[in-house]
Amino acid sequence: MEQKLYTRALKFFLIVVVTILFFFPIYWVFSMAFKPFPEWTAAAGKIYWYPHHPTIDNFRAIFSRKLEMSPIAGTAIRPIVNSLTVSIIGTAIAMVVGIFAAYGISRYKAGGNLPFMLLQLRMFPPIAILIPIMIMWAFLRMIDTWYGLVIIYGVVTLPFSVWLMKTFFDDIRKELDEAAIVDGCSNIGAFFKVVIPLAKGGIASTALFVFILNWSDFLIALILTDRRWTTIPVHISKLQSAMVGALYGPKAALAMIAAVPPIIFGIMIQKYLVRGLTFGAIKK
Amino acid sequence: MLKKQIKLEERGKMDTARFGFFMILPALVFLLFIVIFPLLSSIYLSLSEWSPLTGGGTRWYEAYKFWGWLANYWNILRDVDFLVAILRTFVIVIVVVPVEFFIGLGLAFLFRENFTGKKVFYSIILMPMMIVPAVAGFVFYMLFQAQGPVNSVLSALAMKEVSILWLQGKASAIIAIMIADIWQWSPFMFLILLSGLLSLPEDQINAALILGATKWQRFKMVLFPLMKPVIVISLIFRGMEAVKIFDSIWLMTTGGPGTATESISVYMYKHGFKHLQWSWVAAGGIIILIIITLISLQALKPIREQEEKQAA
Amino acid sequence: MAQIVLERLIKQFGAQTAVDGLSLEIKDGEFIALLGPSGCGKTTTMNMISGLLKPDEGNIYFDGHSVVDTPPGKRGVGFMFQNYAVFTFLNVYDNIAFGLKVQKLPQKEITERVNEIARLLQIRHLLRMSASTLSINDMQRVALARSMITKPKIFLLDEPLSNLDAALRATMRVELKKIQQESGQTAIYVTHDQVEAMSLADRIAVMNFAVLQQYDTPYNVYNRPKNLFVANFIGSPTINFFEGVYRKREFALSDFSGGVMPVPSKYAKEVEANLKQERVVVGVRPEHLKVRGMKNGSGPNLKAKIVSYEPLGSKTIVYMHPDGNPHAIVKSVMGSGYKPKLGEVTVLDFEERDVYLFDKETGELVLRFS
Repeated sequence: MEQKLYTRALKFFLIVVVTILFFFPIYWVFSMAFKPFPEWTAAAGKIYWYPHHPTIDNFRAIFSRKLEMSPIAGTAIRPIVNSLTVSIIGTAIAMVVGIFAAYGISRYKAGGNLPFMLLQLRMFPPIAILIPIMIMWAFLRMIDTWYGLVIIYGVVTLPFSVWLMKTFFDDIRKELDEAAIVDGCSNIGAFFKVVIPLAKGGIASTALFVFILNWSDFLIALILTDRRWTTIPVHISKLQSAMVGALYGPKAALAMIAAVPPIIFGIMIQKYLVRGLTFGAIKK
Repeated sequence: MLKKQIKLEERGKMDTARFGFFMILPALVFLLFIVIFPLLSSIYLSLSEWSPLTGGGTRWYEAYKFWGWLANYWNILRDVDFLVAILRTFVIVIVVVPVEFFIGLGLAFLFRENFTGKKVFYSIILMPMMIVPAVAGFVFYMLFQAQGPVNSVLSALAMKEVSILWLQGKASAIIAIMIADIWQWSPFMFLILLSGLLSLPEDQINAALILGATKWQRFKMVLFPLMKPVIVISLIFRGMEAVKIFDSIWLMTTGGPGTATESISVYMYKHGFKHLQWSWVAAGGIIILIIITLISLQALKPIREQEEKQAA
Repeated sequence: MAQIVLERLIKQFGAQTAVDGLSLEIKDGEFIALLGPSGCGKTTTMNMISGLLKPDEGNIYFDGHSVVDTPPGKRGVGFMFQNYAVFTFLNVYDNIAFGLKVQKLPQKEITERVNEIARLLQIRHLLRMSASTLSINDMQRVALARSMITKPKIFLLDEPLSNLDAALRATMRVELKKIQQESGQTAIYVTHDQVEAMSLADRIAVMNFAVLQQYDTPYNVYNRPKNLFVANFIGSPTINFFEGVYRKREFALSDFSGGVMPVPSKYAKEVEANLKQERVVVGVRPEHLKVRGMKNGSGPNLKAKIVSYEPLGSKTIVYMHPDGNPHAIVKSVMGSGYKPKLGEVTVLDFEERDVYLFDKETGELVLRFS
């Protein structure tokens, strides 16, 4: 149905307004990251809506060892490396376990209610199982280790990797597996030689999706790490303390570093976001 | 055809079932050790009155020495802070989820037709959802500072000095948190509702059009009923996540001022980690678990039905 | 119940022209078919008549009034979709009642009319059932009831029978026609199945590549096809085309070695006058072309080798290669029980009056020798 010009203009205007509102906070933190001290300090007295004298001092600050930040914080290099490490390994675990499980569910209807149990898992407030896990981990000396963190990441994102990969496997026609089996492949052979290559795109997208989740995690890392293995979000929260709470510039720089990968990956897998977020209940 | 069937049957039913089982085995192991076991120990702990502080050097598995049966449950259910935290969380959810829904729905309708730069606007509008929630919390912490942009804009609009101490006031802090949540998750609803809207059977809508239905009649009598499954799913999923709200609150107010912005998760974190009342928190966790499980069994019904429909 | 006039309708989608200057006049109460292959523009035309699409240029008149600016809901048309588009979230009763509910008619009247039409279409037993659980055949009746209950003056049907089992298709054809005649509606039926069009329509509008090829009665479309496309599209099996060259007294047909067909003296002058150039296509329908043994002497000497045949019960289709062109296929319809010898060379036998002559360059019919 074709519309009047007036309605179209109004709609467009609304969209622009909404887009500005949604973009502003992102813009704010990005611009903050490039502002020099006099422009971001709270004592400035006025708001600088854009960096008048853009600088990368803030980025230097968070990486330097000399910055007088709170002694509990230290430099940002470690958290960045940590975030990368645990996100990647956590994703790998969730993907491997998840792909096998998803295949079993998709082709062999294995596990009965397992998929829905995984869904219910997502409904628990994580804090409820994190306390006993923390106790367990403390007992096993797994606090503040990468492997302690990574296992939990694997479990917590398992529902997503299973459900997402299940939908991708469902999209691949069963006849292809059966054709491979008829040609002499074992069950597992058909899986590796036929299905996996066909599901490449789905695997990549699911991996990126899970990576975003791991990278964005806060509570789990907050509980299970201490000094050595803090991730970026935890590091930022540590810098919220009274002494350095007002260091907006450097913190914004760090925030920006944290924010950029998920945005990039998110846009890359835009097509599959709906599917991932609703556990395959909705496929565009 | 015959050869294929013979080969597949040769595999036999036993074989297929076994293979399927092995495929899900790793996932089951994970769940067993990292979900079931902690859950059981949580129940065990909750029934004791042990805490690392008062336990005097004992290990957690020796908590039976401090057995208290349902004492924790009884006490926690009478703890005003706990009950208020639950209430507060549900109030937040009841407010933000519908708001996010309507914003998302409105945007979805605006995005039905094409217009210049649609893809760019779409990507930008989706961005808040992709921001690390802790970072979003930090950003809004900055925005809601007394000298920050929010007050600046309000001052400009009201044409006088507006200097609300957002994060220091009990009510204003909650509002700030709600605004942050709405900002971050409206795009989520938008994404899902738009998908639903675009996958509606166009023919049925055209049929209604030709039968004389006005725009409003088409919405009420055709579009809305057709969208019900998607709407339900979006509300359930968003509700599910909203109840767990923690990151943004912690970065903005750490539950303060005082306990004014403590959600369930914040309450339990504080009591678990600041006060180390592990068994107390374990009891709280179990209670929440029970409530959520009951709600989820009801809420997940439509999703199971959807799955069964798709499998058929 | 209304006369429809389409005046030079043009519709484009980006660079593609879907309908190019279509003009058509449909009489009050007439049942016409829009016939053509996929992509010819018939559905687009239908959508413009219903109001779902707006033409880029041109006009549409119902009983003399231009309706181009009237919204679809107010044009008084009924529409049957190819996949029926029943409201899956409503039961059958609510589906049928929809058009009346939209008009906010009183409950009693709605119930009365729904029951009446349900009885007419024999679906009363389905009224309480959910529309999404119906069989395809029932769904079609529900869709029919839903669009008829508003008593539209014009009925548009978009390939409504293509999803039905073959057996039911024939029955429904008859029923549709009966309903249309009894109600006196003007009906437009879109299809790619020429059998349907031929059996149902008073007149057929044959379309191809966005352009109207011919608009005429079934008899004329079959017997006097305006061009090569129409001649080929109408008729099953498809017409045989022989390319050739006009040589004053005869046509030299290139598919046959040494094969010529004499120009009938009756038409010699007309052919000479109307043929603008020498390249022609001679058309003979398979049902007019018989297979003859080599022995008899009369008729044009066109030989062909039999390669296969299809015994279809009531008739047998014979496939042959003309002797001058082993890549071409000549079809002949013979009687039931006819069994040719494969590989046998025969002579093609047909009457002069069944020959169509086409100008190869324009593709148009020059004349039919009858």
